[in-house]
Amino acid sequence: MLHIKCPYCGTRSQNEFAYGGDATIKRPELNKEVSDKEWDTFVYFRKSPRGKHLEFWHHISGCRQWFKVQRDTTTHEIFKTLKPNEDI
Amino acid sequence: MPQDYRLDKIGLINRNKKISFKFNGKSYFGYEGDTLASALIANGVHLVGRSFKYHRPRGFFGAGVDEPYAIVQLYRNNETDPNVRATEQELFEGLEAKSVNCWPSVNFDIGAINNFLNKFFPAGFYYKTFMWPKSFWYKVYEPFIRKAAGFGVASIKHDKERYEHKYEYCDLLITGSGPSGLASAYAAAKNGARVILAEDKPRFGGSLLTSEVNIGNQSGKEWAENIVNELKEMPNVIVRNRAQVFGYYDHNMLVMSERINDHLPKSKKYSPKQRLWYIRAKEVVISSGSIERPLVFGNNDTPGVVLSSAAKEYLKVYGVLVGRNPLIFTNNDSGYETAIEFKKNGIWPIILDTRNNPNSEIVDEAKRMGIDIKFSYVVVAAKGYKKVKSAEIAKISEDKKELGAIENINCDCICVSGFWTPTIHLASQSGNKTKFNEEIDAFVPGKSKQEETTVGSANGIFTLEETLKTSFEAGHQLSKKITKNDNKVSIPKVVEKKLTKHDKFWCVPLPKGKKYKRFLDFQNDVAVTDVELALREGYRSIEHVKRYTTLGMATDQGKTSNLNGLQLVSDVENKIVPSVGHTTFRPPYTPVTIGAIVGREVGKHSKPTRKSPIHSWHEKHNAVFVDAGVWLRPRYYKQGSEGLFEASKREAENVRKNVGVCDVTTLGKIDVKGPDAAEFLNRVYTNAWLKLPIGKARYGVMLREDGIVMDDGTTTRISGNHYHMTTTTAQAANVLSHLEYYLQVIWPELNVNVVSTTEQWSGAAIAGPKSRNVLQKLFPNIDVSNEGLPFMGYVEGDLFGVHARIFRISFSGELAYEVNVESNNGNYMWEKIIEIGKEFSIQPYGTEALSTLRIEMGHVAGSELDGRTIPYDNGLQGLLSKKKDFIGKRSLSRQAFVAEDRQKVVGVVPLDKKTSIPEGSHLVKEEKAKLPNPKLGHVSASCWSVEYNNPFSLAILHDGKNMIGQKLFALSPLKNKSIPVEIVSSHYVDPKGERVRS
Amino acid sequence: MQKYSVFSLIKNALKGHKDWEVAWRNPTPKAEYDVIIIGGGGHGLATAYYLAKEHNITNVAIVEKGWIGGGNVGRNTTILRSNYMHDQNGLFYEKGMDLWKSMSQDLNFNVMYSPRGIINLAHSDAQMNAYSRRGNSMRLNGIDAVLLGREEVQKIVPMLDFSENVRFPIFGALMQPSGGTARHDAVAWGYARQADSMGVDIIQHCEVTGFDVVNGKIKGIKTSKGDIKAKKVGLCVAGSTSVLAEMLNMTLPIETHLLQACVSEPIKPILDHVVTFGAGHFYCSQSDKGEMVMGGDLDGYNSYAQRGNLPTLQHVLTEGIAMFPFLSKLKMLRTWGGIMDMSMDGSPIIDKTHIEGLYLNCGWCYGGFKATPVSGWTFAHTIAQDRVHELNAGYNLNRFSTGHLIDEKGLGTKTWIS
Repeated sequence: MLHIKCPYCGTRSQNEFAYGGDATIKRPELNKEVSDKEWDTFVYFRKSPRGKHLEFWHHISGCRQWFKVQRDTTTHEIFKTLKPNEDI
Repeated sequence: MPQDYRLDKIGLINRNKKISFKFNGKSYFGYEGDTLASALIANGVHLVGRSFKYHRPRGFFGAGVDEPYAIVQLYRNNETDPNVRATEQELFEGLEAKSVNCWPSVNFDIGAINNFLNKFFPAGFYYKTFMWPKSFWYKVYEPFIRKAAGFGVASIKHDKERYEHKYEYCDLLITGSGPSGLASAYAAAKNGARVILAEDKPRFGGSLLTSEVNIGNQSGKEWAENIVNELKEMPNVIVRNRAQVFGYYDHNMLVMSERINDHLPKSKKYSPKQRLWYIRAKEVVISSGSIERPLVFGNNDTPGVVLSSAAKEYLKVYGVLVGRNPLIFTNNDSGYETAIEFKKNGIWPIILDTRNNPNSEIVDEAKRMGIDIKFSYVVVAAKGYKKVKSAEIAKISEDKKELGAIENINCDCICVSGFWTPTIHLASQSGNKTKFNEEIDAFVPGKSKQEETTVGSANGIFTLEETLKTSFEAGHQLSKKITKNDNKVSIPKVVEKKLTKHDKFWCVPLPKGKKYKRFLDFQNDVAVTDVELALREGYRSIEHVKRYTTLGMATDQGKTSNLNGLQLVSDVENKIVPSVGHTTFRPPYTPVTIGAIVGREVGKHSKPTRKSPIHSWHEKHNAVFVDAGVWLRPRYYKQGSEGLFEASKREAENVRKNVGVCDVTTLGKIDVKGPDAAEFLNRVYTNAWLKLPIGKARYGVMLREDGIVMDDGTTTRISGNHYHMTTTTAQAANVLSHLEYYLQVIWPELNVNVVSTTEQWSGAAIAGPKSRNVLQKLFPNIDVSNEGLPFMGYVEGDLFGVHARIFRISFSGELAYEVNVESNNGNYMWEKIIEIGKEFSIQPYGTEALSTLRIEMGHVAGSELDGRTIPYDNGLQGLLSKKKDFIGKRSLSRQAFVAEDRQKVVGVVPLDKKTSIPEGSHLVKEEKAKLPNPKLGHVSASCWSVEYNNPFSLAILHDGKNMIGQKLFALSPLKNKSIPVEIVSSHYVDPKGERVRS
Repeated sequence: MQKYSVFSLIKNALKGHKDWEVAWRNPTPKAEYDVIIIGGGGHGLATAYYLAKEHNITNVAIVEKGWIGGGNVGRNTTILRSNYMHDQNGLFYEKGMDLWKSMSQDLNFNVMYSPRGIINLAHSDAQMNAYSRRGNSMRLNGIDAVLLGREEVQKIVPMLDFSENVRFPIFGALMQPSGGTARHDAVAWGYARQADSMGVDIIQHCEVTGFDVVNGKIKGIKTSKGDIKAKKVGLCVAGSTSVLAEMLNMTLPIETHLLQACVSEPIKPILDHVVTFGAGHFYCSQSDKGEMVMGGDLDGYNSYAQRGNLPTLQHVLTEGIAMFPFLSKLKMLRTWGGIMDMSMDGSPIIDKTHIEGLYLNCGWCYGGFKATPVSGWTFAHTIAQDRVHELNAGYNLNRFSTGHLIDEKGLGTKTWIS
């Protein structure tokens, strides 16, 4: 069971959190013309790296905040957790 | 009756308490403190089971978790447990056990015929045969093999025991209470760390219980007792016996199973049988010790061949002799310890040492004691079928390849010692890459991956002095890191015998002309020839060897076989062992009871049950409930002999004719608040929200980014910046997370907050032409006329003293209202509605009637919004704003989504107006077309239309918009039904929606 | 090649099993092949076999980073079925079922194909209806399916929880009688042995480190055993797809996730079918060895770790006991994990790519084992003919642009929610 540091609450066990997927994909801005390819890439295409992965977690049984976690997908080592507006 | 193999003056058992038990129907007795294994051996019982494949006789090989043989069916308190290791099961009064995998009895087992045919059953033989004729595998061979396989018998009775979970945090978790564990625990505890010390056996002390050493002028055993007693008294220390740390997971989470009542005739009241501990440790000290390795020789699986350390343990802990005429076969000093113990207790052992007269303290002592030692000698084969009767022995050449003349020697047991294998499972599970230590011919932990330190013999350290020194140091350093204290305890002086190097020899060559089976894996009957065959056939990776031969895949998980298997592969392949590599160590270290892993979430509690505050009223009024996710909702209210159909029809008819009331508490409710709430809703929903006036509700549909409908519901503007959103029961949690994601991550600039209020409000839908009458009486001071409270209007009011929200919304298609009150008042509200509605013939209605009402109105719900449909498919294209962007909008322009012949919701009526169409039927053009019969759509929901008194269904149909009026067949091959149908509009009743506005 | 049979077994037994030949060679790679298949798992081995058998292309190499059959073909719960609702899925997997039926004879290797029947339990009328939709679709596609009522289920699998103390009572089930199990390792070995005998080079412990692509055309691969030229390259690496795709600057609609499975200690036969739980995600069968083979949810976050965490297993086993209360007294013996190429609509991709001569086979989610033969069969066709077969036409990569998705479960792109 992972031990995840919520940037708002501190370190908690994984069962308080829900996973939220790749945090590197950027949603195209509203009302902006985007090509089919750009849109499909946003909706479906993922890098799914082996190694460092920036991902969302949601503190669903806690403060209910979404935040970013940088984690190694082979060892599950967590390097950093960030608020949504922060970048690595 | 005296026990033939029990000594009088030695052992840690309680001789004042006799315990009677039964094995295979025969009564025996043992003493408190015995295991089933020690008690059976004391009684001279050595035959306990049969092996997996060849059904060869099986006795006892070890004295603990490493035991590959002694697996029994246990009977305790009118329940039965399969596959219990006799070496771990403590004796209790009335214990009953039986041998497994043998028929008719362990003494005479028909399956043993396999043994005589064993040459036809080498590794992987089943891959090469049983293929003809084709169907025979499944029909003939496989059932036969299945019957022969498996050990114990599972009881299909529900388990009456309780299992609990406990979550614990500590500074140091120490896994094992041998010398290294005790030293680490003591040093850390004295330095102020919070320590958990776990010991899987009933007794603490590990090897100190059986070794002849002296620590600080006490015997090892006394030292261990004193340390444990002191630790138990310390407030910062948790000490647990019968507790196996079996898994090392990520981020230093370890899991331990504690057997609390397994050693008692029945579980104590209010006490769990086992407790599972999830332990988050800052540091882990792995002090799991080591397991003796077997030496491999002919018929080395015969009952009476035991590990020398086990023989010593039976002797010193239980006062039990594994034999009166022991042969000790060793390649290292450890065998001598066992021999000396025998000798001290009046038994004359013979030692065969593969080494050539090594210079060793303990060898000298054995010589001094007059023990017969044969150097450069090996056991070639054990003789005897159900018990060792003698052994063939021979001198072995310096290069260990040539055997001398075979001699026969009488013995009744052979105690083998092939040196020690560190128990590195936990370290390996932590992610630690193990390394091979040439000195000890075994793997030891490498660099730490998580916060773990391995000490003592688990780390390949086999002298007590070094073990204590490094373990005290580890305990001190690790605790210092955490507590910042620096209190050192002094390391006691150790007296022990110096060890001499072991001999790397592990497998005795076959004498010419003999084909003895030499076993590596005792439970799965994997012999040297099997591994050789696998390698010959090209299964050369160690994983291939394991899978092809099943080496190490038995219930003991190869604790005694893995390393010898590796040695063999490295010998044959001419590779060094580390380049062969070992197979992966995975949790659990020992098998763990599934009930313990699951804990209390069983039976009714396997998932939570959510009930509305009105639930007990429903119960009292004969509601039949249905699971809606984890909620329970009334499906219908049974009157007299009604079934589902009659009751739901009555309820729906009453809504259409008079008025009904439905508990809608389970609907998801979310408060959306803030100055940007309207803008937010405008982005979340597909339709326009900026101009919704205060006191008005609006229906909305929200999409996923891929354009698929996620959920629908009404949202009401309560005040300027306050909106009340409703969701479907099923999607409530997802929608909240979805909203939070967009607010916190995508549009943080929006000043909006969302919070679930599902639990805060209880709701009742009042529907039907007479609903206004009911409402008027409920709220006499409110103008509920069509003008005062129009369709999609909202007011607040006082319902006999409680605050209420009143929404004029409708799911049934009738004139309808929804009243919400604080949950505490839900039942009060409900009773008032029922009471007041009486004069208008109000009846409660359940989800089935609700379903009927929405289907014939053509309102889509979960069965249409199934995660695969877009708004158009559901006839909701009118709700797609062209003027603004919203979540998922961009996806809607994709080729498949704008196709001219896109699927769309339609109504379906059987031509005979009688035959109900089963939900899940498919619509096809031709009734009896060749398969695959092209499907045009499927029936998503069916009801008996109470309006027209005939069946009506909704369907999602290919090219739906052009299909109205077409005649098709609704096929349900599963129900053997083919129904000619006509496609009609999905809005079967009141297509203009006049009633809701009336 | 030596033929395996009861006679050859007896003959060899009498000679002390000294004369058995290697099941496959251990060749050094040639400089060039007509086709290189990357990935010595079930699908890769099957592809090579069908390239040789159906298309007469034998100058083929399989390049495997570790040992063959070490990926998901050796880490699954061995379930075979074609109980799908979507036509594309149903017809594809049903072809697979045909291939399973005669696989032991085709490969001369007993893969222990055992059509013991797969039973999907339903716990509400709504679920019965959803299963009806699926089962009717199967029947109209020529796939066997029957709907069972509660009593019928009880007759077949009496040790399910039919007691009062149950959270989600059983309403009935959808059953595919021809569904079942096969011995997973044997499938890999059987394909390997036959492919090898037809000339395919199986190159183990050979890691792909790069690709040689010139002007949008594949020319070969770079490996830890040197560069190897190839006219065509098929990518067949399941959970490692994204890692290799990155070397090709490709991003795919795939995420790699971990799925765990576990077995109990072996017990005497108690369960003759494959049974899945309807009020959650749990499936169970009993192996010929007697072990209860169990699986369920993904660990739920991107992972290449092949090792999982206990809470997921706890959750899976909770549903296990809810379904089979007798499991409570059994002991969990062994657990393992495999990394799954989870596609964004839950269906696989077998297609050509924008690089000429490069073919893609991935996206099997946690259902790849049953597809082994038909995946190899269609992929071999796609590679050999340079065009998709009608059976895998729907599994194109383009569907993520056109919207012709094949979402059997309707869960969308959150691949980690199962």
